[in-house]
Amino acid sequence: MSSAQETILELRQVTKRYQTRGNILGRGKKEVLALNRISLQVRAGEIFGLVGESGSGKTTAGRLIVGLEKPDEGGIFLNGQDIVGLQGKALRRYRRQVQMVFQDPYQSFNPQVSIMDSVGEPLLTQGVAKGVEREQMVLAALKEAGLSPAESYAFRFPHQLSGGQRQRVAIARAMILEPSLLVADEPTSMLDASYSAQIFDLLLGVRGRLGATVLFITHSLASARYLCDRVAVIYRGNLMEIGPAQEVIRNPRHPYTQALLDATPKFGRCEDIPRFNTLLRAERPAADSGVGCGFFRRCGLAQRARCSMEAPEFRAMGEGHLCACHYAEPGPAQADQGGECHLGA
Amino acid sequence: MNQQAAMDLRQARRSLWRERLAEDWRVFRRNPLGRIGLTLLIMFGLMAVCSYIPPMINPMYNPMTGVDPHIMASTGPSARHWLGTDFMGRDIFAQLLAGARVAFMVGVSAAFMAVVLGTALGMTAGYMGGLTDTLLMRAADMIMVMPTLLVVLMLAALFGQLNIWTIVLMIALFRWPGVSRVVRAQTLSLKQRPFIDAARVAGASHPRIIFRHIMPNVLPLAFLYMTFRVTSAIVIEAALAFLGFGDPGTVSWGMMLQWVWKTGHMFQAMYWLLPPGLCISLITLSFYMLGRAMDEVLDPRLRDETSAG
Ligand SMILES: Nc1ncnc2c1ncn2[C@@H]1O[C@H](COP(=O)(O)OP(=O)(O)OP(=O)(O)O)[C@@H](O)[C@H]1O
Ligand SMILES: [Mg+2]
Repeated sequence: MSSAQETILELRQVTKRYQTRGNILGRGKKEVLALNRISLQVRAGEIFGLVGESGSGKTTAGRLIVGLEKPDEGGIFLNGQDIVGLQGKALRRYRRQVQMVFQDPYQSFNPQVSIMDSVGEPLLTQGVAKGVEREQMVLAALKEAGLSPAESYAFRFPHQLSGGQRQRVAIARAMILEPSLLVADEPTSMLDASYSAQIFDLLLGVRGRLGATVLFITHSLASARYLCDRVAVIYRGNLMEIGPAQEVIRNPRHPYTQALLDATPKFGRCEDIPRFNTLLRAERPAADSGVGCGFFRRCGLAQRARCSMEAPEFRAMGEGHLCACHYAEPGPAQADQGGECHLGA
Repeated sequence: MNQQAAMDLRQARRSLWRERLAEDWRVFRRNPLGRIGLTLLIMFGLMAVCSYIPPMINPMYNPMTGVDPHIMASTGPSARHWLGTDFMGRDIFAQLLAGARVAFMVGVSAAFMAVVLGTALGMTAGYMGGLTDTLLMRAADMIMVMPTLLVVLMLAALFGQLNIWTIVLMIALFRWPGVSRVVRAQTLSLKQRPFIDAARVAGASHPRIIFRHIMPNVLPLAFLYMTFRVTSAIVIEAALAFLGFGDPGTVSWGMMLQWVWKTGHMFQAMYWLLPPGLCISLITLSFYMLGRAMDEVLDPRLRDETSAG
């Protein structure tokens, strides 16, 4: 596929800060750096994974991309066009191309609006279809999302559906305009494992059938490996490592990615996968404000002299595999044992 | 695609709402307060509807202008006048029925206006935030601390006799702040909920978010407040009328009480004093009970929706 090389979405030096509110006197007011100069490119037609632990800024990235919030610095480009600060009509037009599935299926539906009207809302607001035509399109979308008979789901309220069903409905709502980019924010983090696999297959189907690009946000290396073509690993708003999913997960170069892999339960024949032990048990005192590596405080390999003073640059570890660590080296390719060792959730 | 399918869909949509209503009704019916309140209200409703009948039977039963030609003073109950007559020979029962009509008219329309105003302003303040919010809420505070009855009394003293609709309007204007505070608080919390973000991503404009997504979630609360507002509107109108500032062209229960008092029958004619007094107490009580019962219908639903959905 030649189109697979085209960039559909680009984040350029994106920074987002949040002001946490202190008490009445303004004491305890702190600034959280949710995203720190993140740059990455997502190619058309791929499933791109954004991996990180809780609080690493994944949802923030998703919200910036669909235009729910504005970055403090940097640019976000869809097909080469800067989308930061779009408003009104332009923003609405943009949302025909970019949609989102939210993390919590219990909170992302209006309890007073039927499934039919929730899923059909984009059709109305975008002036695509109304009346009977709209209802038929909604039913078709629900069927595509694996809810059949669709008629029996369409005329219910959200609280009459299970979490997994709601997440299917959320995918139907997001895909009803056939957007070119779907941001899926941990669509399975609130569901149990058996349901996750079905949602994953639905996402694979979305990409296969409609050729949509998917930005898949997750905290789990296992699901990233199952779904993604490429992944980016972020830690507290800092991009750590980016590359082809198989390569990054089987052969992680960054101590943080290595720590994530250590923490992932494995089963099957996994003796060949080493433990990296790169995570400090206790955090070290912070490096001097802002400079230095974002992972310094928890990194087992860090050297104070260098890592607390100098931010690491991205360096190539292999074909399209970049890593931001002073001490990462392009390691030997792992023996091909991936088929037998499985990662758990 | 075809006619049949479209029909089925319409039907399915209708049955969806029917089910929801049926469920609410079941919860409501289990509540004894609600049952009593509703029964009483239906009785008062019947009274209001029946108020048109006596004047049709005989013009002397007209509550305002009908005078029994044979009676010159207040008389007790008889076959001809079930509850007796007032000081100039007007039928008290006919007046009582007419009073029910006025009570509903005043109570419901004043409450409705107050709630519409309060909901609109509360949602606007909560959704827009910033300066709009501050200005609206300061205005609400100022109005809220004014004693409604006193202010209306002063206005009545200034402008002379007030028309019944003027009274309704003034009650509405003084009674929206309470509603708007509650609606604003609810709007503030709704605004933060993820489904609002989802609606924005679905392309919903601000008006659409307010009316399609926030309003259905505050309306039940607004309706609940409406029942309490009805109570206060009826009481205020009755008090005004009793104090002699009512609309002289209407027969309200407060007006009847004023006539009893002004003509010196306060403790001489129980058949005249008690019925309007009881009616005022019972109708306010029944709206209050209705509100409490609705509160209970609403509460589990609100609870469901905020926790598990
Ligand atoms: N509206 C906000 N106000 C203040 N701080 C915020 C806000 N939203 C996010 N943050 C902070 O920004 C950081 C990143 O949050 P974000 O929700 O993007 O994390 P996440 O990677 O999605 O985590 P999770 O896996 O738990 O969903 C966190 O430290 C969070 O506390
Ligand atoms: Mg998140």
